[in-house]
Amino acid sequence: MIEVDRLEKNYGLARALKGISFQVAKGEVIGFLGPNGAGKSTTMKILTGYLLPTGGRASVAGHDVVADSLQVRRNIGYLPESTPLYGEMRVDDYLQFCADIRGVPRRRQRAAIARAVELCALQRVTGKNIVELSKGYKQRVGLAQAIVHEPPVLILDEPTSGLDPNQIVEVRKLIERLGTEHTVVLSTHYLQEVEKSCTRVIIVNQGEIVADGTREQLVHQQPAGALRLVVRGPEAQVMAQFRELLPKDCPIEVRERRSDRIEYRVDIGTATAPVDEALARLVIKNGWDLLELQRERQSLEDVFRALTLRPQQEALHA
Amino acid sequence: MHEVLVVFRRELKSYFLSPIAYVFGVLMLSMLLYYAADVTLVDGSQASAENLFRLLPSILLYFLPGLTMRLWAEERKLGTLELLMTFPVTIGQLVLGKFSASLVYLGCVLLLTLGLPLTLAAYGPLDWTPVLASYLASVLFTGSFLAVGMFWSSLTRDQIVAMLLSLVSLFVLYNIGDPAKVEAAADWLPWWLVDVISAISPYRYFQSVARGVLDTRDFVYFACFCGLFLYANALVLHGRRQKG
Repeated sequence: MIEVDRLEKNYGLARALKGISFQVAKGEVIGFLGPNGAGKSTTMKILTGYLLPTGGRASVAGHDVVADSLQVRRNIGYLPESTPLYGEMRVDDYLQFCADIRGVPRRRQRAAIARAVELCALQRVTGKNIVELSKGYKQRVGLAQAIVHEPPVLILDEPTSGLDPNQIVEVRKLIERLGTEHTVVLSTHYLQEVEKSCTRVIIVNQGEIVADGTREQLVHQQPAGALRLVVRGPEAQVMAQFRELLPKDCPIEVRERRSDRIEYRVDIGTATAPVDEALARLVIKNGWDLLELQRERQSLEDVFRALTLRPQQEALHA
Repeated sequence: MHEVLVVFRRELKSYFLSPIAYVFGVLMLSMLLYYAADVTLVDGSQASAENLFRLLPSILLYFLPGLTMRLWAEERKLGTLELLMTFPVTIGQLVLGKFSASLVYLGCVLLLTLGLPLTLAAYGPLDWTPVLASYLASVLFTGSFLAVGMFWSSLTRDQIVAMLLSLVSLFVLYNIGDPAKVEAAADWLPWWLVDVISAISPYRYFQSVARGVLDTRDFVYFACFCGLFLYANALVLHGRRQKG
C-alpha cells in the first residue's frame, strides 16, 4: 500500500531524512515512533503529497507522491499534527466541505458524512461551531475529516497529543476500529498507544530508521535485560560467588539492603545461557535463602530509549 | 472547475461567518459614502456619481490590505493550509477559488454603493452609462489590488507583515497612476519614463475604463496584471512544498 524507497529530505542544510525505506502492506497499522525532530512528520508530509522529497521515491496505493500527487491525495486521509480546522465553520458544514473537495459525489455525501459522524461519535455536536468544541471533540472532527471519503490509507500525525487520559482512550479505540478497514500510519509519543493499537512499529531517529518490526521482534532484538534477586546471606560471599559464575562483563550491583535481605541486580547483557537457573542453584547450594528472582521485562519503552538515546549520548561524548 | 467552486464556496461563506465581512463592509462603505455624499449631494450641483469613483481607489488602497492580509497568512498560521494542500486540488485551483470568493465579496460591497447613484437619480436626470462603466472599472481595479494583497499574504505567516507590504505596494501602485502626480513627475523626469512607470498602475486603467471608453487593451492589462500576481502566488505556495 505504501512504499518508501531511500527517501531523503533536506530543509536547507539540515538533513531531516537520510534515505529511509520501508513498506506498509494493506491492512497494517503502523506506529511511527521517534523523538521530536526525528523525521516522523516530514515522512508523513511527503506521503500525503504536501512536501516534495529531496531524493528517493515514495508511493501510496501505487501512485508516486511527486508525479501523481493528486491520485495519492485521493487515496489518503490525513490528520496533521495539531489538528488544523476552520474554527468558524459548523462541524457538519466542514465535513461537507471536506467530502466535497475530496470528490465524494453529491448523492453519496450525506451517507458518507453520517458514517464519519457515527464512527467518530460526533452526533451531539454536528450543529456546533468547531471553535466551541473541546479539544477531544476537535480531534475527532479532524479524524472524521480524514475518513469521510473512505480512503484506503490513513495518515495520522500524533492523533492523541494534548488530550486528557479519557479522550486518549476514546481516540485510541476509534483508531483501533479504523484499523480494521484502513491501512493506518500513525505517529505518537505514547508507547502504550503503539503497544495497544499497532501491528508494527517503526522507530526513527535523526532521520534514519533504527528499528522496524512487530513489538515482540523489537523487544527480542534487544539484549536480554537484567535479573533482580533478593537473597538472605553474607553480601561479600554472595557477590564473590556471583562474579565467579557470570561472565566478566556482567555488571552486578546491590540495589537495596533491608536488614539481612539484599537485593541484587545482575545485568545479564548478551549472556545466552540460562543464567537465572544457574544463579538460583548457586544460592541454594550455599545454603542461603533465595527470596525473590525476577527477570526484568524489556518493554518497548526500553527499546525506544536504547535506540534513540544511545546514539545521542555517544555523539555527545565523542 | 468543481474544485475551484468548492474552495470558492467555503471561502465566501467564511467571510460571512466571521465579523470581517460586516466590519470591513460597513466601515469602508461609510467612509466612501460619507466623503462622496459630502461633495456630491450639494445644492445646485450636477447629478453625477463621479466623486464616488474618484474616491474609491484611494479608500480601497487603505482598506483592502486589512482584508487580504489574512487570506493565506492565517491559513498558514493555523495549519489549515497544509491540510488544504493535501486535498486533491491543484494549487492553481486553490488560488483561483480564493481569489474569486474575495472578488465576489468585494463586488457585493461595491453593489451596496448603488445607494448613491440611485439617490441622485431620484433628484435629477442621471446618465447611467458612466456609472455602469465606473462599476465595471471598479471591479477590475479591485481585482488587481486584491491579487497584489493576496500575493503578499502568501509570503508570510504574519498577517501584519502581509498588511504592511500590501499597503506600501498598493500605495506605490496607486500613486504612480495618479494624474496629478504623473504630471508633477514629468517636470523633472523624461516624459517617456513617466509614461512607462504610470503604465504599470492599475489606477491609470481604472480611469480609462471608468470614462466609459471600453478599450480591449485595458481589459488585457487587467487580465495580465491579475494573472501575473496570481501566478506568483501559486509559485510561492508551490515553494512551500519544497521548503516545508
